[in-house]
Amino acid sequence: MTNKQQIHRALLLLGLLGAAFAGLVYRLVDLQVLRHVELAKLAGNNTQREYWQAPRRGDILDANGNFLATSVAVKRICADPSLVGNQSAVVARAIAPVLKLNEAELAQKLTPRVTVKKNRNGQSVTNELKYVRLAARVPEETWQRVVATMTNLTFGVDEKLLTRTNRTFLRNLRQRAIFAEPDQLRVYPNGALASQVIGFTAVEETNVSGHLISQITGRDGIELSMDKQLDGVFGWRTTETDRAQREQVALRDEDVHARDGLNIVLTIDSAVQHIVETALADALQKHTPKGITGIVMRPRTGEILAMVSLPNYDPNDPNTYKSGTHNRVIADVVEPGSTFKIVVVSGALDSGKVRLSDQFDCERGRFAFAGRVLHDHEGYGMMSTESIITKSSNIGAAKIGIKLGEQGLYDYSWNYGFGRKSGIPLPGEARGILNPVKQWSKVSIAQIPMGHGVAVTRLQMLYAMAAIANHGWLMRPMLVSRLQARDGSVVQRYAPERVRQVIGEQAYRDILQALKTVPMKGGTAPDAELKNYVVAGKTGTAQKVENGTYAHGKYISSFIGFFPADNPELCISVVMDEPKEGYYGGKVCGPVFRDIAERCASYLNIPMDPKLMTNTPTMGGKNLPRKT
Amino acid sequence: MAKNRKNQAAAIRFGPALKASFLCLLIGGSALGYVWQKNEINRLGQQILEREKRLVQTQNDNKRLGDQIAILHSPVMLDRRAKELCLGLVPAQPLQVVRIAEMLVTQEKNSSRQFAQRLAIQQTP
Repeated sequence: MTNKQQIHRALLLLGLLGAAFAGLVYRLVDLQVLRHVELAKLAGNNTQREYWQAPRRGDILDANGNFLATSVAVKRICADPSLVGNQSAVVARAIAPVLKLNEAELAQKLTPRVTVKKNRNGQSVTNELKYVRLAARVPEETWQRVVATMTNLTFGVDEKLLTRTNRTFLRNLRQRAIFAEPDQLRVYPNGALASQVIGFTAVEETNVSGHLISQITGRDGIELSMDKQLDGVFGWRTTETDRAQREQVALRDEDVHARDGLNIVLTIDSAVQHIVETALADALQKHTPKGITGIVMRPRTGEILAMVSLPNYDPNDPNTYKSGTHNRVIADVVEPGSTFKIVVVSGALDSGKVRLSDQFDCERGRFAFAGRVLHDHEGYGMMSTESIITKSSNIGAAKIGIKLGEQGLYDYSWNYGFGRKSGIPLPGEARGILNPVKQWSKVSIAQIPMGHGVAVTRLQMLYAMAAIANHGWLMRPMLVSRLQARDGSVVQRYAPERVRQVIGEQAYRDILQALKTVPMKGGTAPDAELKNYVVAGKTGTAQKVENGTYAHGKYISSFIGFFPADNPELCISVVMDEPKEGYYGGKVCGPVFRDIAERCASYLNIPMDPKLMTNTPTMGGKNLPRKT
Repeated sequence: MAKNRKNQAAAIRFGPALKASFLCLLIGGSALGYVWQKNEINRLGQQILEREKRLVQTQNDNKRLGDQIAILHSPVMLDRRAKELCLGLVPAQPLQVVRIAEMLVTQEKNSSRQFAQRLAIQQTP
């Protein structure tokens, strides 16, 4: 009997134990198998960490390796208010002067806050604020001062008498409450120099796999157009931390370094750019135009050594970017005026329809054509093709255009690159306006040769002149010379590119002969003549179009020239928008051209023209170039 | 049946005791070694972290100082400085530049580089 009872009890106990064990087994299976993924993730969140490493943005360098834009490592100062506790006022008072922040606002940021939110299951969850940003782009030296200030922070109590908990609180407050994250600052060491070419940047928050990371992105110029190359690739590290949030190096899993962005080497020479900017700044003061631009190009290769548009802005402070400070060289489209005569005359010479010695009747300054009357600024009679260029006769150019024919004029204009983008790697380039022949009016064939009824960018007009300087070969404008890695190794090199030959050798020689007469006595730009070099060039003075009509007293004045004329090293364009104190291209832009050309020739050590070797050196200082 | 105590394995058995002690020491030593090793890993890990931070810091400082030198050498900065100091510098005029014509060696086909160099040396006054 007893045995039976004992057996029953034992079985009951066994059953209970079995049930308990089964429950435990079920719980174990539930935790380890059924909810494994969910719980493993929760457990991993406590220790596993993923750090993202931002790449260093590449530098922008000039042709000689001088910095035009660079990235500097700085700090972003952050705080954990939960560790600050009730000492926010003390901490704010200590670090506000170092960070140059408002003390009250800083104290507000440092005050601990608890937020209550509902989770997915509808349960209320309290979250303690553990991260606030106090200051961005703080130099390393300032951060070191913040660290020193926090380390030496006192709270007016004898800490030896405090409880262990309070001592731990103060230690954490000093060591971990304020911390720094790596950040980058884009710096343009030369200020506004070449600002429209380089562009500027902005800081954006990028979401990389759920992490918000500050990233510098281009907003204008090369910074924008070559953003991908400059950017680089993010790196990451998957690792584990201990209770004190210190990384356990031995438990590192993935550790992929960020790949820095490529450095971009431009064809711009910062010394030439500086020369052009200072010369244009002087002209801006003298003639107070709305805007003034200057470009320097090597005609043989198409390399752009300088591209200036004033007024400009300081990319270090993008707030200085406002209306009118854009890159007028590529974005503004204007009627070119008489500089366009080089297109029609060179085209007519190349097609054989006109010879340099051919005579044209310039109708004493008034020429009625297709119901319109065309004017010259002076009344000329019979003139040769060469003289038409020398004196810049509108009527003569119109008659040459008529002789060339509509299709011929259109074809040569198109071949010189008008009406389409040059392919320069800058954002916002305009195509210009070159209508197809079927859209031309009857008078177009007479107007276009004098630079009306067609609209061009200043860059298009320059490289058309550079094509003439280069024996008729049009070169693609080059702004980027090469891409290189941080160690200086070349990743990609850009070579000069011939686009097409627009005019032949004979036409080149003829138009060159005519263009040499412009910057001379008797030409339209005697002020552009150089002492040691023969110059070839063309002036332009175009009335501005406003609201569909020509505005009275508002002109676009220009001079485009190259030197030494027979072996050109540089092609220079100077264009002013609404100059005061004179408006003829030769008068206002010619002297600026001369100033730039003389200083560039000296800097680049261009050998003087052999034809002018008889000149005696001027050592007395009377004719010496401007002092620096 | 009584056993002869003399012939029994000793009353105090040193062999098993030694074995047990050795085993204990081994296990204890391994445990201590494991803990020491873990401590070392942790300590070296912290050292690696510190050195990594210093490396980044040094690289940043190097870049910053390199940039400063480059900026101070830039033509724009030099021009600005020259103007500040009123040094009275002027660019050289073309006629003030003395050009030395380079001796061009006409390299015949199949002639070696050494031969070309010898020619150049011979021509040097």
